[in-house]
Amino acid sequence: MTEREVVVGHRLGIHARAAARVVQLSSQYESSIFLSRTDHGKKVEADARSILSILLLAAAHGSALTVRADGADEKAAIDCICEYLKG
Amino acid sequence: MREERIIRGVMASGGVAIGRAIRSFDPLLISYNFHISQTATEKEVARFRASVEKSRRQLERMQSELRESSIPESSFLVDAHLLILQDKLFVDRIIETIEEESVNAEWAIQQVSSELYEAYDRLQDDYLRERRGDLEDIVRRMLHNLSSKSSSVPRLTHDAILVGKTISPSTLFELRAGRVAGLVTETGSPLSHTAIVARSLGLPAVMGIHDLSCISSGDLLIVNGTRGQVICNPAPSTLREYRQGMKEQPRSLRRSAATVPATTEDGIRISLGANINFSEEARAAVSNGTEFIGLYRTEFDFFKEGQKPAEEELTAQYAQVLRTIGPSTVTFRTIDVGSDWKSRDGTGSSLASRGLRFSLEHQDLFKLQLRALFKASRKGRMQILLPFVSTIDDLDAALEIIAGVKRDLGRQKISYDREVPIGVMIETPAAAQTCDLMASRVEFFCLGTNDLIQYYLVIDRADQSVAHLYSPFHPAILRCLHQVYTLLQYSGRPVTVCGEMAADPAAAAVLLGLGFTSLSVSLTAYPRMKETISSLNVGKLRELAGEIMKMDSPKHVEDRVRSTIA
Repeated sequence: MTEREVVVGHRLGIHARAAARVVQLSSQYESSIFLSRTDHGKKVEADARSILSILLLAAAHGSALTVRADGADEKAAIDCICEYLKG
Repeated sequence: MREERIIRGVMASGGVAIGRAIRSFDPLLISYNFHISQTATEKEVARFRASVEKSRRQLERMQSELRESSIPESSFLVDAHLLILQDKLFVDRIIETIEEESVNAEWAIQQVSSELYEAYDRLQDDYLRERRGDLEDIVRRMLHNLSSKSSSVPRLTHDAILVGKTISPSTLFELRAGRVAGLVTETGSPLSHTAIVARSLGLPAVMGIHDLSCISSGDLLIVNGTRGQVICNPAPSTLREYRQGMKEQPRSLRRSAATVPATTEDGIRISLGANINFSEEARAAVSNGTEFIGLYRTEFDFFKEGQKPAEEELTAQYAQVLRTIGPSTVTFRTIDVGSDWKSRDGTGSSLASRGLRFSLEHQDLFKLQLRALFKASRKGRMQILLPFVSTIDDLDAALEIIAGVKRDLGRQKISYDREVPIGVMIETPAAAQTCDLMASRVEFFCLGTNDLIQYYLVIDRADQSVAHLYSPFHPAILRCLHQVYTLLQYSGRPVTVCGEMAADPAAAAVLLGLGFTSLSVSLTAYPRMKETISSLNVGKLRELAGEIMKMDSPKHVEDRVRSTIA
C-alpha cells in the first residue's frame, strides 16, 4: 500500500469535470485507489472510481487530501492521480 | 380569445421564438414499494441492469451526436451522466438493496438516490450542491426506461415551445432535431447547464418565471429571450410585429447581405456592431456578418460558475472571443453586476453595486478581470469599456487601477498590448453632462441608452406602473443625445450607441439624424437593422432632427419620425 498527501490545485476544487477526470485516470490502473480528507476532525473517504463519492468529498481548492493506492501498480497510480490533483 | 399577457423572467438565452406551448411535466417519480420473493430478485436485478444498459446506450448516442455537432464542448455533461451509470456507489448499492431487501428496482433506485440527494444537500459548496441535478436527471431516465418500452421523446410539431418547471440539459439534447423553437422554465438561471446548452443550440430561453400555471399546452407564445419575457396569447398586432422581426432573423440573412457593410440610401457608411452577453455568441456574430462587437457584457461569463473565476480561464476565454471576431474590434465592458440578474434574487441592491462602483468596491475582482483582459489583449483588437461611471473621481480611480495592473504585468515580464483603448459607457445623466471632461482621460465612448433613458426620465422599466413612460423620443432624451454628440464632436472621441434604442428603426433614424454614425445592436436585431439603415437617408433625417427638436411631446415626436421613415 502506498499513501501520499496532496493539496488540491484546481481553482474550483474537485468539481464535475475534475471528478470525471479522476475517475477516468483511476480506471487505467488495477490498484484500488481512495481519496480521503479530514473535515472537522472527521475522516471522509471516497473511492476514486466513483464520481458521486468524489463529488461528495467536496474537496475545495487548497484542501489537503490523502491518496491511498493498493495493488500491483500502486506507485504509478499515485503518481498519476497526485499529479492531476495538483492542477 | 384570451387576452395577451406579458410574463417576465430572466434572460437565459437570447433571440425570439414564436410557437405553441408544450407543457413538459416533470414526472413525479412516484415509485411503489413492492416486496418480491427471494427467488425473483435475480430477475429484478436483470431488469435493473437492462435499464442501466438502455440508459447507457441513449447517453452514448447523445454523446456521439454532440461530438459531431457544433457544440462538442457540451458533451462533458453527458460524460458525467455516463460515469454515474458506472458508479459503484450508485449501481452496486441499488443491486444490493434489491437483493438484500427483496424490493423492486424502482424502489431501490429511489432509496439509494434519496440518500445521495441528502448527502448533496448537506454540502456547503453551491456549485457542488447543484450537481444533484445530474443525479436527478439520470434517475429520471432510469425510472423511465424501467417503465416503458417506447422512447420518451415526444413527437413535437414544428415550433414547439417547451414549458416546464425544470427542463434538463439532456432533454434539450434529445429534442434538438430542430423541433424545439424555445423554452420557458420556472427554475434555472443564466448560469445553469440548461441555459448554457440552450445558448449553444441557439434556442431562445426565458427562465425564473414564478408562475407557469397560466400557460397551457397549445397556447401561442412569443419567447423573447433577449428581453427575458414571454408573451402569452399575443394580440394580432403584437404577433405581426414580432413576425416581421422574425423574417429577418440571423439565420435567414442572405450571405451576400451579411458581407456588405451597412450604408445608408445616400451613401453614408454606418458602423454597425453587435452586442453579446456570452462568449459562445461570438461565433454566431461572425456568421451573421457582424462588423465588430460593440459591447460584450462580460458579467455573465465572469460569474458563470457562481464564484470568483480563474485568471487563466478568463484569459483563454477572452483570447478565444478576440480570435473569433478578429481582425475586428471587440469592446469588453468590465463586469456590471447588480443591474438585472443579480438584484432579481435579492442579493444585490440596484444602485450601490452598479458597474464601476462595484468594481471599485471589489478591487480584487476588478484587477483579476483586468489582468485577464490585458493578458489576452494581443490576440486581437481589444477595447475596454467602464460601465456606469458617474463621477470623474471614480473614473480616475479606475484608470489608476488599470495603470497599476499594467505596471505589474510589465514587472512580471508578461506581454500585453500597451495601447488597448479605454472607454466610458455613458449611461448616467452625470456622465452625459460631463463626457467632455472625461474625454481627455479616455479614448472612446459608448452610449448605453437603456439606463440613460430610465435615469433621465426617473422611471424603472421593471415597475409596471411607470414602464409606459419609457420613451427614447422624449424631448429631454433628444436634447441629451444632441448634447452628448456635440460635446464629443469637439473632443474628437468616437462614440457608439449600444442600447436598445439603436435597434428600433425609428429611434435609430433619430440617432442618425442627430449625427451618430456608429451603432451596436443585439444579434437578433442585427440583420433587420442593416436593412433599415440601407433604406434611410441621412440628409433627410438631419432635417427631421431639426424639426423634432422643437416638438414638445414624446408621442408627437414618435409619430412624426415613424411617418417619415415608413
